Amino acid sequence: MAVRRVEHIMGLPISVDLRDGDAALAERAFAWLREADAQFSPFKPGSEVSRLDRGELTREELTPDLVEVLSLCDWYEQSTGGAFTARAPGRGLDPCAVVKGWAVQRAADMLRQGGATSFCVNAGGDVVTAGEPEPGKPWRVGVRHPDLADQLSVVLGVRDGAVATSALYERGQHILDGRTGQPVSGIVSVTVFSDDLAIADTTATAAFALGRDGIEWAAGQEGCEVFVVDEDRRVYSSPGLPVHIC
Amino acid sequence: MKRAIPVLALSVAGLVPVWIYSPGAAHEGELSEVAAPLAQEQTQQQAAPQTTAPQTTGAAPKTTQQQAQNRTVSGPAVNTSEGTVQVQVTLQGTKIVDVKALRAPNSNPTRMALPLLRESALKAQSADIDTVSGATATSEGYKQSLQAAIDGAQ
Repeated sequence: MAVRRVEHIMGLPISVDLRDGDAALAERAFAWLREADAQFSPFKPGSEVSRLDRGELTREELTPDLVEVLSLCDWYEQSTGGAFTARAPGRGLDPCAVVKGWAVQRAADMLRQGGATSFCVNAGGDVVTAGEPEPGKPWRVGVRHPDLADQLSVVLGVRDGAVATSALYERGQHILDGRTGQPVSGIVSVTVFSDDLAIADTTATAAFALGRDGIEWAAGQEGCEVFVVDEDRRVYSSPGLPVHIC
Repeated sequence: MKRAIPVLALSVAGLVPVWIYSPGAAHEGELSEVAAPLAQEQTQQQAAPQTTAPQTTGAAPKTTQQQAQNRTVSGPAVNTSEGTVQVQVTLQGTKIVDVKALRAPNSNPTRMALPLLRESALKAQSADIDTVSGATATSEGYKQSLQAAIDGAQ
Protein backbone atom coordinates (compact mmCIF):
# COMPACT_ATOMS: atom_id res chain seq x y z
CA MET A 1 0.00 0.00 0.00
CA ALA A 2 1.30 3.43 -0.83
CA VAL A 3 1.42 6.16 1.79
CA ARG A 4 2.02 9.81 1.13
CA ARG A 5 2.25 12.25 4.01
CA VAL A 6 3.73 15.65 4.85
CA GLU A 7 4.33 16.86 8.37
CA HIS A 8 6.15 19.91 9.69
CA ILE A 9 8.82 19.00 12.25
CA MET A 10 11.96 20.93 13.27
CA GLY A 11 10.57 23.83 11.27
CA LEU A 12 10.84 21.73 8.13
CA PRO A 13 8.24 20.27 5.80
CA ILE A 14 8.99 16.54 5.82
CA SER A 15 7.43 14.52 2.99
CA VAL A 16 7.31 10.74 3.08
CA ASP A 17 6.47 8.95 -0.14
CA LEU A 18 6.19 5.30 0.79
CA ARG A 19 5.43 3.03 -2.14
CA ASP A 20 5.22 -0.23 -0.16
CA GLY A 21 4.40 0.27 3.47
CA ASP A 22 1.57 1.19 5.74
CA ALA A 23 0.50 4.31 7.59
CA ALA A 24 1.68 2.89 10.92
CA LEU A 25 5.23 2.55 9.58
CA ALA A 26 5.20 6.14 8.35
CA GLU A 27 3.87 7.24 11.73
CA ARG A 28 6.78 5.53 13.50
CA ALA A 29 9.23 7.49 11.38
CA PHE A 30 7.44 10.78 12.07
CA ALA A 31 7.27 9.95 15.81
CA TRP A 32 11.06 9.49 15.84
CA LEU A 33 11.57 12.84 14.12
CA ARG A 34 9.40 14.57 16.75
CA GLU A 35 11.45 12.86 19.48
CA ALA A 36 14.70 13.95 17.83
CA ASP A 37 13.43 17.53 17.70
CA ALA A 38 12.59 17.44 21.42
CA GLN A 39 15.98 15.95 22.28
CA PHE A 40 18.32 17.98 20.07
CA SER A 41 16.71 21.36 19.45
CA PRO A 42 18.78 24.25 20.84
CA PHE A 43 15.55 26.27 20.81
CA LYS A 44 13.79 24.06 23.37
CA PRO A 45 15.00 24.82 26.92
CA GLY A 46 14.37 21.26 28.06
CA SER A 47 16.27 19.54 25.26
CA GLU A 48 19.42 17.55 25.97
CA VAL A 49 21.39 20.00 23.82
CA SER A 50 20.14 23.01 25.81
CA ARG A 51 20.85 21.29 29.12
CA LEU A 52 24.39 20.41 28.01
CA ASP A 53 24.92 23.98 26.84
CA ARG A 54 23.82 25.32 30.25
CA GLY A 55 26.25 22.97 31.99
CA GLU A 56 23.51 20.86 33.55
CA LEU A 57 24.90 17.68 31.99
CA THR A 58 28.45 16.38 31.85
CA ARG A 59 29.85 14.56 28.82
CA GLU A 60 29.53 11.30 30.73
CA GLU A 61 25.81 11.85 31.24
CA LEU A 62 24.97 12.30 27.57
CA THR A 63 22.93 9.81 25.57
CA PRO A 64 24.85 7.77 22.99
CA ASP A 65 22.85 9.57 20.28
CA LEU A 66 24.04 13.02 21.33
CA VAL A 67 27.60 11.72 21.69
CA GLU A 68 27.35 10.48 18.10
CA VAL A 69 25.99 13.82 16.87
CA LEU A 70 28.68 15.79 18.68
CA SER A 71 31.44 13.54 17.37
CA LEU A 72 30.15 14.18 13.83
CA CYS A 73 30.20 17.93 14.53
CA ASP A 74 33.77 17.69 15.82
CA TRP A 75 34.93 15.63 12.87
CA TYR A 76 33.60 18.12 10.31
CA GLU A 77 34.90 21.08 12.30
CA GLN A 78 38.41 19.62 12.27
CA SER A 79 38.19 18.55 8.65
CA THR A 80 37.24 22.07 7.54
CA GLY A 81 39.73 23.86 9.77
CA GLY A 82 36.85 25.38 11.71
CA ALA A 83 34.87 26.75 8.74
CA PHE A 84 32.08 24.43 9.82
CA THR A 85 31.27 24.70 13.50
CA ALA A 86 28.45 23.84 15.88
CA ARG A 87 29.80 26.38 18.35
CA ALA A 88 29.99 29.76 16.64
CA PRO A 89 31.60 32.50 18.78
CA GLY A 90 29.04 34.23 20.96
CA ARG A 91 26.38 31.65 20.17
CA GLY A 92 25.19 28.59 22.03
CA LEU A 93 25.77 25.01 21.00
CA ASP A 94 23.85 24.44 17.75
CA PRO A 95 24.29 20.99 16.21
CA CYS A 96 21.27 21.47 13.89
CA ALA A 97 23.37 21.20 10.74
CA VAL A 98 24.24 17.62 11.70
CA VAL A 99 21.06 16.66 13.52
CA LYS A 100 18.71 17.17 10.60
CA GLY A 101 20.45 14.83 8.16
CA TRP A 102 21.32 12.36 10.90
CA ALA A 103 17.74 12.16 12.24
CA VAL A 104 16.16 11.88 8.79
CA GLN A 105 18.62 9.13 7.84
CA ARG A 106 17.60 7.23 10.95
CA ALA A 107 13.93 7.69 10.04
CA ALA A 108 14.73 6.16 6.66
CA ASP A 109 16.55 3.28 8.36
CA MET A 110 13.42 2.67 10.44
CA LEU A 111 11.31 2.48 7.29
CA ARG A 112 13.76 -0.08 5.84
CA GLN A 113 13.79 -2.12 9.03
CA GLY A 114 9.99 -2.05 8.98
CA GLY A 115 10.05 -3.77 5.61
CA ALA A 116 9.68 -0.86 3.20
CA THR A 117 11.80 -1.27 0.06
CA SER A 118 10.66 1.66 -2.06
CA PHE A 119 10.39 5.13 -0.59
CA CYS A 120 11.53 8.72 -0.77
CA VAL A 121 11.82 11.00 2.25
CA ASN A 122 12.33 14.71 1.65
CA ALA A 123 13.07 16.89 4.66
CA GLY A 124 13.13 20.52 3.59
CA GLY A 125 15.16 19.70 0.49
CA ASP A 126 17.31 16.89 1.88
CA VAL A 127 16.42 13.57 0.34
CA VAL A 128 16.83 9.88 1.20
CA THR A 129 15.64 7.24 -1.23
CA ALA A 130 15.30 3.47 -1.22
CA GLY A 131 14.76 1.10 -4.10
CA GLU A 132 12.88 2.25 -7.17
CA PRO A 133 9.56 4.11 -7.53
CA GLU A 134 8.71 1.70 -10.34
CA PRO A 135 10.62 -1.28 -11.69
CA GLY A 136 13.72 -0.31 -13.66
CA LYS A 137 13.56 3.38 -12.81
CA PRO A 138 15.53 5.37 -10.24
CA TRP A 139 14.05 8.07 -8.04
CA ARG A 140 14.50 11.24 -10.06
CA VAL A 141 15.80 13.93 -7.73
CA GLY A 142 15.73 17.41 -9.24
CA VAL A 143 18.19 19.91 -7.80
CA ARG A 144 16.72 23.38 -7.48
CA HIS A 145 18.20 26.04 -9.74
CA PRO A 146 20.01 28.58 -7.52
CA ASP A 147 18.43 31.58 -9.22
CA LEU A 148 15.08 30.31 -10.48
CA ALA A 149 12.83 28.75 -7.85
CA ASP A 150 10.68 26.86 -10.32
CA GLN A 151 13.53 25.40 -12.33
CA LEU A 152 16.16 22.72 -11.90
CA SER A 153 19.90 22.83 -12.39
CA VAL A 154 20.34 19.08 -12.74
CA VAL A 155 18.39 15.86 -12.20
CA LEU A 156 19.97 12.92 -10.39
CA GLY A 157 18.84 9.32 -10.73
CA VAL A 158 19.08 7.71 -7.30
CA ARG A 159 18.16 4.26 -5.99
CA ASP A 160 19.49 3.69 -2.46
CA GLY A 161 21.09 7.00 -1.65
CA ALA A 162 20.91 10.46 -0.18
CA VAL A 163 21.03 13.93 -1.75
CA ALA A 164 21.50 17.17 0.18
CA THR A 165 21.88 20.73 -1.03
CA SER A 166 23.25 23.79 0.71
CA ALA A 167 22.63 27.05 -1.13
CA LEU A 168 21.83 30.73 -1.00
CA TYR A 169 18.82 31.63 -3.07
CA GLU A 170 18.19 35.24 -2.16
CA ARG A 171 20.31 38.28 -1.57
CA GLY A 172 20.62 39.15 2.08
CA GLN A 173 20.82 35.55 3.20
CA HIS A 174 24.22 34.46 4.40
CA ILE A 175 26.20 31.60 5.85
CA LEU A 176 29.19 32.54 8.00
CA ASP A 177 32.64 31.05 7.73
CA GLY A 178 33.36 29.77 11.24
CA ARG A 179 37.04 30.66 10.83
CA THR A 180 36.50 34.35 10.12
CA GLY A 181 32.93 35.08 11.14
CA GLN A 182 32.51 36.66 7.70
CA PRO A 183 29.83 35.73 5.16
CA VAL A 184 30.92 33.00 2.78
CA SER A 185 31.38 33.84 -0.91
CA GLY A 186 32.43 31.98 -4.02
CA ILE A 187 29.73 29.39 -4.44
CA VAL A 188 25.95 29.64 -4.55
CA SER A 189 24.85 26.00 -4.40
CA VAL A 190 26.45 22.72 -3.29
CA THR A 191 24.72 19.37 -3.75
CA VAL A 192 26.21 16.20 -2.30
CA PHE A 193 25.22 12.64 -3.16
CA SER A 194 26.17 9.90 -0.70
CA ASP A 195 24.70 6.68 0.66
CA ASP A 196 23.94 8.36 3.99
CA LEU A 197 22.08 11.63 4.54
CA ALA A 198 24.01 12.56 7.68
CA ILE A 199 27.15 12.57 5.53
CA ALA A 200 25.58 14.18 2.47
CA ASP A 201 23.93 16.98 4.45
CA THR A 202 26.88 17.81 6.68
CA THR A 203 29.33 17.63 3.77
CA ALA A 204 27.16 20.07 1.78
CA THR A 205 26.89 22.49 4.69
CA ALA A 206 30.61 22.29 5.48
CA ALA A 207 31.59 22.69 1.82
CA PHE A 208 29.47 25.80 1.62
CA ALA A 209 31.18 27.25 4.69
CA LEU A 210 34.56 26.67 3.00
CA GLY A 211 33.57 28.75 -0.03
CA ARG A 212 35.43 27.99 -3.24
CA ASP A 213 37.82 25.66 -1.39
CA GLY A 214 34.78 23.57 -0.51
CA ILE A 215 34.43 22.29 -4.09
CA GLU A 216 37.59 20.18 -4.04
CA TRP A 217 37.17 19.39 -0.37
CA ALA A 218 33.68 17.94 -0.83
CA ALA A 219 34.66 16.05 -3.98
CA GLY A 220 37.48 14.47 -1.99
CA GLN A 221 35.22 13.20 0.79
CA GLU A 222 34.92 9.43 0.80
CA GLY A 223 31.74 8.18 -0.83
CA CYS A 224 30.61 11.68 -1.84
CA GLU A 225 29.81 12.96 -5.33
CA VAL A 226 29.22 16.68 -5.76
CA PHE A 227 27.42 19.17 -7.98
CA VAL A 228 28.43 22.78 -7.34
CA VAL A 229 27.36 26.08 -8.91
CA ASP A 230 29.80 28.93 -8.32
CA GLU A 231 29.15 32.68 -8.29
CA ASP A 232 29.92 32.90 -11.99
CA ARG A 233 27.27 30.23 -12.62
CA ARG A 234 29.80 27.63 -13.62
CA VAL A 235 29.03 24.06 -12.72
CA TYR A 236 31.43 21.60 -11.12
CA SER A 237 30.29 18.01 -11.28
CA SER A 238 32.29 15.06 -9.99
CA PRO A 239 32.73 12.11 -12.36
CA GLY A 240 30.67 9.65 -10.31
CA LEU A 241 27.62 11.89 -9.92
CA PRO A 242 24.51 9.89 -10.93
CA VAL A 243 23.13 12.42 -13.41
CA HIS A 244 19.78 11.25 -14.76
CA ILE A 245 19.79 11.20 -18.53
CA CYS A 246 16.34 12.27 -19.66
CA MET B 1 23.08 29.28 -43.37
CA LYS B 2 26.32 31.23 -43.54
CA ARG B 3 25.14 33.58 -40.79
CA ALA B 4 24.88 30.72 -38.39
CA ILE B 5 28.58 30.00 -38.51
CA PRO B 6 29.87 33.01 -36.49
CA VAL B 7 27.21 32.36 -33.89
CA LEU B 8 28.18 28.76 -33.58
CA ALA B 9 31.85 29.66 -33.54
CA LEU B 10 31.12 31.98 -30.62
CA SER B 11 29.37 29.22 -28.80
CA VAL B 12 32.39 27.08 -29.43
CA ALA B 13 34.48 29.67 -27.62
CA GLY B 14 32.01 29.32 -24.77
CA LEU B 15 32.58 25.61 -24.75
CA VAL B 16 36.30 25.99 -24.20
CA PRO B 17 36.14 25.96 -20.41
CA VAL B 18 33.95 22.90 -20.62
CA TRP B 19 36.44 21.14 -22.73
CA ILE B 20 39.63 21.79 -20.86
CA TYR B 21 38.26 20.20 -17.73
CA SER B 22 36.59 17.18 -19.21
CA PRO B 23 38.80 15.55 -21.80
CA GLY B 24 36.77 12.67 -23.10
CA ALA B 25 34.35 12.80 -20.18
CA ALA B 26 31.28 14.23 -21.86
CA HIS B 27 29.13 12.22 -24.19
CA GLU B 28 29.20 13.84 -27.56
CA GLY B 29 25.60 12.99 -28.30
CA GLU B 30 24.44 14.87 -25.24
CA LEU B 31 26.59 17.83 -25.98
CA SER B 32 25.13 18.29 -29.41
CA GLU B 33 21.63 18.52 -27.96
CA VAL B 34 22.62 21.22 -25.57
CA ALA B 35 24.89 23.24 -27.73
CA ALA B 36 22.34 24.12 -30.38
CA PRO B 37 19.77 25.88 -28.14
CA LEU B 38 22.65 27.52 -26.31
CA ALA B 39 23.83 29.25 -29.44
CA GLN B 40 20.31 30.57 -30.02
CA GLU B 41 19.96 31.85 -26.52
CA GLN B 42 23.23 33.65 -26.42
CA THR B 43 22.22 35.77 -29.34
CA GLN B 44 18.69 36.40 -28.07
CA GLN B 45 19.76 37.36 -24.58
CA GLN B 46 22.56 39.75 -25.38
CA ALA B 47 20.28 42.73 -24.91
CA ALA B 48 18.74 41.65 -21.61
CA PRO B 49 20.84 38.99 -19.98
CA GLN B 50 19.63 37.01 -16.98
CA THR B 51 16.17 38.55 -16.81
CA THR B 52 14.00 35.81 -18.16
CA ALA B 53 13.96 32.10 -17.68
CA PRO B 54 15.06 30.05 -20.66
CA GLN B 55 12.09 29.14 -22.76
CA THR B 56 13.51 26.10 -24.38
CA THR B 57 12.99 22.77 -22.74
CA GLY B 58 16.34 21.25 -23.50
CA ALA B 59 15.53 19.56 -26.75
CA ALA B 60 17.49 20.63 -29.75
CA PRO B 61 15.43 22.50 -32.32
CA LYS B 62 14.38 20.23 -35.14
CA THR B 63 15.85 21.18 -38.44
CA THR B 64 13.50 20.39 -41.27
CA GLN B 65 16.08 20.47 -44.00
CA GLN B 66 18.57 17.86 -42.90
CA GLN B 67 21.86 18.19 -44.64
CA ALA B 68 23.68 14.98 -45.15
CA GLN B 69 27.09 16.61 -45.38
CA ASN B 70 29.05 17.46 -42.29
CA ARG B 71 31.11 20.61 -42.01
CA THR B 72 33.86 21.38 -39.55
CA VAL B 73 34.52 24.77 -38.00
CA SER B 74 37.55 25.59 -35.89
CA GLY B 75 37.18 27.97 -32.99
CA PRO B 76 39.78 30.59 -32.04
CA ALA B 77 42.76 29.62 -29.92
CA VAL B 78 41.92 30.82 -26.43
CA ASN B 79 44.48 31.43 -23.72
CA THR B 80 43.32 30.23 -20.34
CA SER B 81 45.04 29.94 -17.01
CA GLU B 82 45.51 26.26 -17.79
CA GLY B 83 47.05 26.84 -21.21
CA THR B 84 45.91 27.39 -24.79
CA VAL B 85 42.73 25.71 -25.92
CA GLN B 86 41.26 25.38 -29.38
CA VAL B 87 38.28 23.28 -30.32
CA GLN B 88 36.77 22.15 -33.59
CA VAL B 89 33.09 21.44 -34.10
CA THR B 90 31.46 19.29 -36.71
CA LEU B 91 28.08 20.51 -37.91
CA GLN B 92 25.31 18.67 -39.61
CA GLY B 93 23.03 21.44 -40.80
CA THR B 94 22.85 23.71 -37.75
CA LYS B 95 23.35 20.92 -35.27
CA ILE B 96 26.67 20.26 -33.60
CA VAL B 97 27.34 16.56 -33.92
CA ASP B 98 30.91 16.44 -32.74
CA VAL B 99 33.36 18.57 -30.83
CA LYS B 100 37.00 17.83 -30.39
CA ALA B 101 39.94 19.64 -28.91
CA LEU B 102 42.60 20.68 -31.42
CA ARG B 103 44.77 22.07 -28.66
CA ALA B 104 44.30 21.30 -24.98
CA PRO B 105 46.52 21.79 -21.98
CA ASN B 106 47.92 18.70 -20.33
CA SER B 107 47.03 19.67 -16.80
CA ASN B 108 43.72 18.40 -15.51
CA PRO B 109 43.48 19.82 -12.02
CA THR B 110 39.99 18.92 -10.92
CA ARG B 111 38.91 15.97 -13.03
CA MET B 112 35.51 17.63 -13.01
CA ALA B 113 33.52 18.94 -15.92
CA LEU B 114 33.02 22.67 -15.85
CA PRO B 115 30.08 23.61 -18.04
CA LEU B 116 27.83 26.61 -17.59
CA LEU B 117 24.79 26.36 -15.38
CA ARG B 118 22.49 27.26 -18.25
CA GLU B 119 23.65 24.25 -20.21
CA SER B 120 22.97 21.89 -17.33
CA ALA B 121 19.65 23.54 -16.48
CA LEU B 122 18.38 23.35 -20.05
CA LYS B 123 18.74 19.60 -19.98
CA ALA B 124 17.16 19.28 -16.55
CA GLN B 125 13.93 21.12 -17.43
CA SER B 126 12.66 18.37 -19.66
CA ALA B 127 12.84 15.67 -16.98
CA ASP B 128 9.94 14.39 -14.93
CA ILE B 129 10.99 14.31 -11.30
CA ASP B 130 9.90 12.57 -8.11
CA THR B 131 11.31 15.03 -5.60
CA VAL B 132 13.39 18.21 -5.27
CA SER B 133 16.64 18.77 -3.40
CA GLY B 134 17.37 22.33 -2.36
CA ALA B 135 18.65 24.45 0.47
CA THR B 136 16.64 23.97 3.63
CA ALA B 137 13.07 24.94 2.90
CA THR B 138 11.25 26.42 5.86
CA SER B 139 7.66 25.47 6.47
CA GLU B 140 6.64 28.96 5.30
CA GLY B 141 8.62 28.78 2.07
CA TYR B 142 7.41 25.29 1.35
CA LYS B 143 3.91 26.34 0.24
CA GLN B 144 5.17 27.89 -2.99
CA SER B 145 7.82 25.27 -3.64
CA LEU B 146 8.10 22.68 -6.37
CA GLN B 147 8.15 20.01 -3.68
CA ALA B 148 4.76 21.17 -2.36
CA ALA B 149 3.40 20.89 -5.87
CA ILE B 150 4.78 17.35 -6.12
CA ASP B 151 3.35 16.37 -2.72
CA GLY B 152 -0.03 17.83 -3.65
CA ALA B 153 -0.06 16.12 -7.00
CA GLN B 154 -0.41 12.66 -5.49
